[in-house]
Amino acid sequence: MITTIRSERLVVISDLHLGNPFSNAKKKVLPFLRWAAQERFDVCINGDGLEIAQASFAKVAFEVPEFFRVLGDFKRAGREVYYVTGNHDIALEHFLEDWGVMKVSPFLNVHSGETRIRIEHGHIYDPFFVKHPALYETLTHFGGYLLKLNPALYKLWISFERFTSRMRARKTGILGEKPEFREAALELSRRGFDAIVLGHTHHPGENTLETGSLYLNSGSWMLTPHFVKIDSGKVTLEEWRAPEKRPFLS
Amino acid sequence: MALTEHRFEHEYLEDFEDGACIFEEGDTGRDLYIIQAGAVRITKKTPAGEIEMALFQKGDFFGDMALLQSLPRYASAHAHGATRLLILKPAGFLLKIRRDPTFAFEMLQQLSFRVKASNDRMLEVLKRNQLPFHEVQEVLRIIGGGQAP
Repeated sequence: MITTIRSERLVVISDLHLGNPFSNAKKKVLPFLRWAAQERFDVCINGDGLEIAQASFAKVAFEVPEFFRVLGDFKRAGREVYYVTGNHDIALEHFLEDWGVMKVSPFLNVHSGETRIRIEHGHIYDPFFVKHPALYETLTHFGGYLLKLNPALYKLWISFERFTSRMRARKTGILGEKPEFREAALELSRRGFDAIVLGHTHHPGENTLETGSLYLNSGSWMLTPHFVKIDSGKVTLEEWRAPEKRPFLS
Repeated sequence: MALTEHRFEHEYLEDFEDGACIFEEGDTGRDLYIIQAGAVRITKKTPAGEIEMALFQKGDFFGDMALLQSLPRYASAHAHGATRLLILKPAGFLLKIRRDPTFAFEMLQQLSFRVKASNDRMLEVLKRNQLPFHEVQEVLRIIGGGQAP
């Protein structure tokens, strides 16, 4: 299993949840992948790229094959595709690897320039997921039914998390996240990582840790197309906008 | 050597200047070291002179044999350039794994790589007929877990 790689140009996206009733990530992610291949970036899907827990089979069948075709083109263009497993796609680990398009890993240690970066989905730092895995799974399935009734409930939940985060006494982390994620990033940074990229929480943001390392969350494409760009060791959080189409006559 | 941070009794950061000794072969320390910045040279005295066994870089760990097997230090460790180490006392090891579970995964992965590298080197020596076959087989059997040391 590969957990350590070198890549000078890498983009990290997470939580596409393709197949989820609320997700319309496919519309944006396909042109994004084409752009990344053109710009000679490798790509890392940092967990929950595909949806199993709250999947609609019809939506999976509609969205996933095209997504995989574009990843195949990406690979044929000479770029690498890495897939870090998350909690919504953990059952797909072998399936994804056998597909032959991507390298699947529980986390990635990336060397880029002189920088050492950890990419990890982050669900193992979610206190609720760790302490009550069965309840977490049940509630996730139940949440799937609610989303089918009204996908807007997802936005309500995200707003609620941001609100509770604002009310919290400790405000050192990324808005919307529980403090445990930043604590985990701090712990990792003490092992010589200059930047730590997590996903899972769906709250994009960045934060400088006490060790001087950078903690970033790549957010979720269910809401906004944020991605982490790694370019010769420089790590930044950006929001993707499709390049403007050239006028027909210019 | 400047102490930079004491977070818990069983885990702290320490800075070493280029060439500074971290531990010597035969020392009885049990601490585990993780390189936060810089590099560390591991050397061992042999009848033919001192040999460099490894040059560990940022993120690597060493000192695991003394921690896991309660053995005296098998080799010496010296800073290679200005180096900052995260030092885990034996009592802090399990706590570290609880707070940072992928560290256990990476440790097992590293140890697995090292066993494979040892096996490969041993087979290479065998190919060159530099060791009697039965001795190589015995060593490989021990490394492979066929016989507890």
